[in-house]
Amino acid sequence: MLDAAFEALKTFDWGTDLAVVAPIEDAATAAHDKPELRRDLENRLIAALNGKLTRDAQDYICRKLTTVGSAEAVPALSVLVVKPEHSHMARFALERITAAEAGHALRGALAYVTGITKIGVISSLGARRETASVAPLGKLLADPDPAIARAAALALGAIGNSESAAALQSALQSSTGSLPQLVDALLSCAESLLTSNKPADANSIYKTLTSDNHPRLVRLAATRGLLACASKQA
Amino acid sequence: MVRRMLQCFVLFGLFSSMAVQAAGAADKASDEFVQMIVKLIGDSDKEFRAAGLEQVRTAAKGTAATQVFASRLTKLDDAGQIALLHALADRGDASARPAILELFGSSKDEQVRAAAISAIGYLGGPADLPLLIKTLSADSAVERSAAKQSLVQVSGDKISKTLGADMKSAPPAVKALLIEVLASRRASDELPALVTASVDDNAQVRGAAMAALGQIGRPEQIAEMLPGVLKAEKGSERDNAEKNVALVCSRIENEEQRGKSVIDSLNTVAPTDRDELLALVGRVGGKTLVNFVAGIATSDDSSRRRIGIDALSKWPDATAADKLLEIVNTTTDPAERHQAFQGFVKVSAARNNRTDKQRLDRMKEAMKVAKTPEEQSLVINRTRTAYDVEAMRFVLPYVDQPEFAQIACETIVEIAHHRDVRDANKAEFDTVLDKVIEISKDPVVVDRAQRYKRGQTWERPKRS
Repeated sequence: MLDAAFEALKTFDWGTDLAVVAPIEDAATAAHDKPELRRDLENRLIAALNGKLTRDAQDYICRKLTTVGSAEAVPALSVLVVKPEHSHMARFALERITAAEAGHALRGALAYVTGITKIGVISSLGARRETASVAPLGKLLADPDPAIARAAALALGAIGNSESAAALQSALQSSTGSLPQLVDALLSCAESLLTSNKPADANSIYKTLTSDNHPRLVRLAATRGLLACASKQA
Repeated sequence: MVRRMLQCFVLFGLFSSMAVQAAGAADKASDEFVQMIVKLIGDSDKEFRAAGLEQVRTAAKGTAATQVFASRLTKLDDAGQIALLHALADRGDASARPAILELFGSSKDEQVRAAAISAIGYLGGPADLPLLIKTLSADSAVERSAAKQSLVQVSGDKISKTLGADMKSAPPAVKALLIEVLASRRASDELPALVTASVDDNAQVRGAAMAALGQIGRPEQIAEMLPGVLKAEKGSERDNAEKNVALVCSRIENEEQRGKSVIDSLNTVAPTDRDELLALVGRVGGKTLVNFVAGIATSDDSSRRRIGIDALSKWPDATAADKLLEIVNTTTDPAERHQAFQGFVKVSAARNNRTDKQRLDRMKEAMKVAKTPEEQSLVINRTRTAYDVEAMRFVLPYVDQPEFAQIACETIVEIAHHRDVRDANKAEFDTVLDKVIEISKDPVVVDRAQRYKRGQTWERPKRS
């Protein structure tokens, strides 16, 4: 049954009756708390991904790897993530695979992608919230492409730890004026820090944003943040 | 041993010192927080101010912080004072009360004073009743209104009892307001005081007392409310008094018990006064009371008969219709017959729990016994309460009779007003509305007929 499903996958497209791949779905469900079954299914999916497949089939496998994938799947996904036509689904899997190798692969991909694909990879790094991503993302804050710099700022905001906040504050100090994406990202960082019970760290970010060189609404948001910090510290 | 004791002392001292340091740090953080809020509530930007006021409402707990916030009241402008008063009221800490009372005493702005009085409603207690009651007679309407609301809001033991006692010696206007307060507080222990006030010499007090009894009275109060109805002046005061008794009666769910309770209550008043209360009986309604009143409406005493017919005509539902029709068909007195006919048409048109067909059938019955054009016109008029194409067909022939044409046209447009009736029979209504447009002399009726033909609606002008 499973063999037939993998065979059917070779010509799969989203118009196909999903019943043909139902055995793969069942296997993924059955593998939930059985590491051996999971590994076996993952290996079959990786093998299929490395073979000749339609784009929709690759898409399908990437989706399955979000639930059964591990570090083993990263090399195969790394090949796809730099290809603009497959990058999106590869990132979909890499974002969700908890192994550190997935984050490493995404950071490695930064050097090989450009434009919208690069923005996607940056966004996935933000979603993974790894401290290791702060340095490469920090460098991108000064990227000549404003869209990439903006994506990097938002990703650092999503990571939301003290290191990402430091990178953003450093960029803000060296920039002229109040760049909205840096401010938004800093506010996100402060909020995350406050949620993770680090009011002193959040407080120092909010304080920098209450200065008169920031727009009124930023100062208002920062003031509300300061009150929340003080309320937590009092 | 000595060494161990020394070790204990050293450890104790170390922990105590750490605890004091921690407490000191917490106090410092708390002070900074309070100062930050203080700075914000004095900010000129209202959104920054709102951020601070939100903290006054919900954060920086404790009496010390409350007193710091309250001490800022005199430092703010009027709008700032009002906003802070509301926030302190929401904070719910009574330690702000002295500062609020001080502001009430010193401010010349009625909105500020009203906000202070409102805050006292949330933070005050029995000690504030004299001030709140005194403010009920203030020159400023907003202060009076705030004081009334605060008297409803204020909590504490025996508040309602104190209000009930103070009410007795208060001037009429204040007395009426205190009665409204007691009703809003649902002060059922003060029902005897309200019953006493229901026969007060002042109409405003009586009206307030009857309204309060209507709101919180129990079936036991029905008999006690009847003197209040009798004392009420005929007209709107009497109508309202009757409605309030009917409201209390409506709390008795069982119709038979309700009727019995009203009859028992009537027996507590002097026989000479009972007939005057028959209109009230009509408002209560129900089959038990229909028979009771019908007995009076068909008695040998002609003056009592008129009162009985009047009571049946005020029946809140159609249960009195058959009795009224019986009187129409049997009485030999033309005036009584006409009175009963009008009552029959009125109660037959009542909408409660009856179908359009039932109403129309009653109108057809009425038309059969109508003797004068005036009576026929009345029937044509009230047929509009049956939202049915058959009602339109019943009225249509009268459009061709000059003496009924105008009222018939008016009734037809009223029926056509109901889109579901009109749209289900569009072709027929279009033809009839064409006829209305041709015959009616009333521009409003013609306009409505034209609109309904075009599928448009018409907004009834609001009564001034």
